[in-house]
Amino acid sequence: MTVEGGVQYSKIAEIKGPLVVVDDVDNAAFDELVEIETSEGEKRLGKVLEVGNGKAIVQVFEGTTGLSISGTKAKFVGKVMEMPVSKEVLGRVFDGLGRPKDGLPDPIADKFVDINGEPMNPEQREYPKDFIQTGISVIDGLMTLVRGQKLPIFSGSGMSHNLLAAQIARQASVVGTQDDFAVVFAAIGVQYSEAEYFRRSLEESGALKRSVLFLNTADNPAIERIITPRVALTVAEYLAFDLGMHVLVIMTDMTNYCEALREISAAREEVPGRKGYPGYLYTDLSTIYERAGKLQGRKGSVTQIPILSMPSDDITHPIPDLTGYITEGQIVISRDLFRQGIYPPINILMSLSRLMKDGIGEGSTREDHSEVANQVYDAYSRAQEVRALAGIVGKAGLTEIDLKYMDVGDLFEKEFLSQAIDENRTIEETLGILWKIVSKLPKNEITKIKDKYIEQYYKEE
Amino acid sequence: MALNSSLQQAIDKIVEKTEKEILLDLKNSVSDSKQTLDDSLSKLEQEYDKIILDGKKEADKVEKKIIGSSELDVRNKQLLLLEEGVTKVFSKALDQIANTDRSGDYSNLINTLLDEATKILGTTKVIVFTNTKDKDVVQSALSKFSGSELSSDTIDCLGGILIKSKDGTMTFDNTIDARIERLKPLIRKEIASTFGVGN
Amino acid sequence: MAAKGRIVWVSGPAVRADGMSDAKMYETVTVGNAKLVGEVIRLTGDVAFIQVYESTSGLKPGEPVIGTGNPLSVLLGPGIIGQIYDGIQRPLRELSKISGSFIGRGITTTPVDMTKKYHFVPTVSVDDEVVGGDVLGTVKETELIDHSIMVPPDHPSRKITNIVSEGDYNIETEIATTEKDGQTISLKMYHRWPVRKPRPFKSRYDPVVPLITGQRVIDTFFPIAKGGTGSIPGAFGTGKTVTLHQIAKWADAQVVVYIGCGERGNEMTEVLVDFPKLKDPRTGKPLMDRTVLVANTSNMPVAAREASIYTGVTIAEYYRDMGKDVVLVADSTSRWAEALREMSGRLEEMPAEEGYPSYLASRLAEFYERAGRVRAAGSPDRDGSVTLIGAVSPSGGDFTEPVTTHTMRFIKTFWALDAKLAYSRHYPAINWMNSYSGYLTDTAIWWSKNVSKDWLRLRGEAYGILQREDTLKEIVRLLGPEALPDEEKLILEVARMIKIGLLQQNSFDDVDTFCSPEKQFKLMKLLVDFYNKGQQAIREGATLADIRAMPIIGSILKARMDVKDDEMSKLDQIDNDMQEQFKKITGVKVIN
Repeated sequence: MTVEGGVQYSKIAEIKGPLVVVDDVDNAAFDELVEIETSEGEKRLGKVLEVGNGKAIVQVFEGTTGLSISGTKAKFVGKVMEMPVSKEVLGRVFDGLGRPKDGLPDPIADKFVDINGEPMNPEQREYPKDFIQTGISVIDGLMTLVRGQKLPIFSGSGMSHNLLAAQIARQASVVGTQDDFAVVFAAIGVQYSEAEYFRRSLEESGALKRSVLFLNTADNPAIERIITPRVALTVAEYLAFDLGMHVLVIMTDMTNYCEALREISAAREEVPGRKGYPGYLYTDLSTIYERAGKLQGRKGSVTQIPILSMPSDDITHPIPDLTGYITEGQIVISRDLFRQGIYPPINILMSLSRLMKDGIGEGSTREDHSEVANQVYDAYSRAQEVRALAGIVGKAGLTEIDLKYMDVGDLFEKEFLSQAIDENRTIEETLGILWKIVSKLPKNEITKIKDKYIEQYYKEE
Repeated sequence: MALNSSLQQAIDKIVEKTEKEILLDLKNSVSDSKQTLDDSLSKLEQEYDKIILDGKKEADKVEKKIIGSSELDVRNKQLLLLEEGVTKVFSKALDQIANTDRSGDYSNLINTLLDEATKILGTTKVIVFTNTKDKDVVQSALSKFSGSELSSDTIDCLGGILIKSKDGTMTFDNTIDARIERLKPLIRKEIASTFGVGN
Repeated sequence: MAAKGRIVWVSGPAVRADGMSDAKMYETVTVGNAKLVGEVIRLTGDVAFIQVYESTSGLKPGEPVIGTGNPLSVLLGPGIIGQIYDGIQRPLRELSKISGSFIGRGITTTPVDMTKKYHFVPTVSVDDEVVGGDVLGTVKETELIDHSIMVPPDHPSRKITNIVSEGDYNIETEIATTEKDGQTISLKMYHRWPVRKPRPFKSRYDPVVPLITGQRVIDTFFPIAKGGTGSIPGAFGTGKTVTLHQIAKWADAQVVVYIGCGERGNEMTEVLVDFPKLKDPRTGKPLMDRTVLVANTSNMPVAAREASIYTGVTIAEYYRDMGKDVVLVADSTSRWAEALREMSGRLEEMPAEEGYPSYLASRLAEFYERAGRVRAAGSPDRDGSVTLIGAVSPSGGDFTEPVTTHTMRFIKTFWALDAKLAYSRHYPAINWMNSYSGYLTDTAIWWSKNVSKDWLRLRGEAYGILQREDTLKEIVRLLGPEALPDEEKLILEVARMIKIGLLQQNSFDDVDTFCSPEKQFKLMKLLVDFYNKGQQAIREGATLADIRAMPIIGSILKARMDVKDDEMSKLDQIDNDMQEQFKKITGVKVIN
């Protein structure tokens, strides 16, 4: 979008929270980029949230600290916020608004792209079905990731989600292809050390030159976080759909994003939805998550792994809740397993990949994959029930078959779930362990697998 | 004797048994220690393998890291060099603009700049600012914009004008500097492509 | 006269314009230089409050707003089937030809191909008196759809003055004219109808015929009738969408309207990929030949999401008026309610619960009231139905939130999805204790006539086992399973078998994905018989361990996947084997 603009206004009516209300404005557009100049000459960026009747409400990304009613000027730039993109963004580090943070000059743009993107036409999407091997058994075996999927990690404070995401970023590959891949990493209000961990992890695997980093750390302005995922995805879309690369986007921590959104909503005195989050949180989040996907007739793909920490580990909190309604499944980190020292501490029963069914099976993983995975899910779920029961009535109150399920649960956690941080298992290895677990069950208990696969893979010890 | 011999037999039996037990114990401990030795040997071997493997992994990591980083370093140096070039070209161009002849076409340019600026502000009742060099050209152009007046204050710029509404709440910067700033990303791309960089 | 105004205020999808005193409520307007589509939703003085169906980014006060004089309408005629529309009936396939992979703004195009020729067979002749709803003739729209060309519902009673002869015409062709008092009306193969106004019909019937979905837990336990209403609420990950896709695939309807309202883009893509490949089990024709999609995904403009529900239901009513059974699936009504909430917030209306507007309940009621089995207007006599099934996405999976509670007041079948079942991979995760159907006794008549007169009794017995298990589970939770006597343990065992062998259904298994009524009945009977035989065996001295060790159990549990719909004799064989094996275990005990 280009509209005429460039006028600077200096009549500031009100400053509240992250918002500046400018008066006597007759030439501003909704969503337009605004350059705020403080009385000291410092420049900040913002955008128009509402315009009309001579007023414009501007949201200032870098915060309003130090702004005054007199002396502050607002220039309406005449375009929406754009990100310069080119192949040269690879290997670069930007701040949360997409400005260079690595001491190098602005990228020389191939083009400038509206950071809000446009909704993909659902008719033009290509249904994602290419299996991504992460080398992590529990993901590949039970919640398979595919290219173009959005699969978030639901975690809680202090748990090992970052290790997991970094391991995925290092190991993810599509078996049997040589296509270009790239990693886009957006740090949203996380500690510097967490961002640095990712950077180092990418560097050590030699992937830094294929990565783009956007860093808004905990000490950076909070409102900037509204922009960070959008600039990151704008670059990802460019790499994927203009340059044909397969892009993995990791965004951490989306909870901080939602909090920034709540702050703005509160300042606008909007009627809140649940827990003070704005009623449009779902719609807003979807404009981020729905930017994952594949398109017909184009080579690349955008795969998203957003990470969010669930406040008080509560999966019904609006942030994980609304995320789960948009994303194609979720990987849930369990406090319980984490305490037991299990890595990756994934609660498989609460986790799910909706696109798994199309990414697995004959021709991509193996024909028995879906059924053996179903059986293991079933068995582990039984094991959990039995464990809970044993906690009350003791082992003596359990039937023989119950005890068998308990063993299966232990074996699952010890041999399948647990994995070293630099251990990269092939899908064959992963399926092998799944069958080892199923083979611990008597055949009469196997209700989800066809006989022909049982004959082929079931091995009683 | 019978008693004696039976006692003897019993003693013999016990001795024999003890002997056997001792022998067995010995045997066992020998095989145990052999086992331990074997175990520790194989463990040692595993350990050794692991050290080698870890070392190899570490080496791989370092190699990847070094290759990756050095490629990146080279690229980044290129970017910096390119930027240096762009800056040079830019400042030369700016110099040229600053020193352009103020006669002839230049007054047309000022006229266009004023026209555009007043349209955007939506009024011609404005105060106009310019630099010392352009003052005369601007003054003579103002007659077409009723209600406009030239400020006695000058601003520091290469050329062109900046206008302000009379109440001072609206400003539009149409100096050549501001225009170049707006176009800078495009100009940079142009220059870069003459260096053969960019897509 | 069309209103011509000027934008004075913009905030997201909400725009205010002045100079609009000529505008009407719910009139469609074009907004701004980009000519975005909008709808007037409030008038105050000469200021119109407009919801804009496209992104308003870059819109400026001062830009023009122009009225069209018409309310938001859909085009109804041949060519709708097989299409994928956005919330205001713009064909997404055509949009992509204009704006590429991403959806551009301000694009206008016709909802159907106006140049495509259809073979029209007239059924009226000159001098016939016709009125709104009368059939003028038919065309073959797809292999599956005979499309009746009807006189628009608001057309007064008049004589036909001209009708074209049988032949190929595009839908813009004037196929007939009517006249009265020198005033001529030209009729084409299509007409437009305002989406917010239900299409008229002659009379309503009670819904008594079950809509067979091929999903056992639905058809056997919680059936929905043709022309009925149903709701499927569930937290994320409980399989709402998969269940709805299953209904859209396998329901015995002639037309399916699937509305993706504020949901995932890939889900619509999935339908577009799958449906043309899948065959209707009754006709053998591609499912896409009876399906219409309305897709306003979550990231598409929120106001159009609000409209998508009405666009969909109006299309459904149109096909109902031809005498067809239509199923409309809306995923998800919660996102529609949220769109209402967002616009209400921008209108600064006084909010009711959780920020939703106070008219949420009445809007939901109006929507579900558009379901029904009816005698269509006009002649010849046609009976059709619209079955409405709405998904609800309660926040935090909490069924006490406003959208779920209000919806429950207006629907008769409630399929409660349960996160716990989903976590244990019991799909479809419909909780049999919390779900209900108000159509059970009415539809039982159909089952009794078409499948077996024992249906209702056996269904009651099977459900009884599940209910008793639910109570026993409490005891087990406190004392462990070993505390129960064998006959009660058998209840647990058979309940488990009912869950695995009957309630669970694998949508991704070629055989299990659809289950015929006959197979549903036989599986149920097998399980109930197993239970009764089992109790008898225990009374005769057999132990639970004996029963558990019966090899037939595996065959019963896998029959849903192993036995195809045309192999019912295999189920009889399993039944025979079961009787034999029971004889064996009780026989052994007698000798001892």
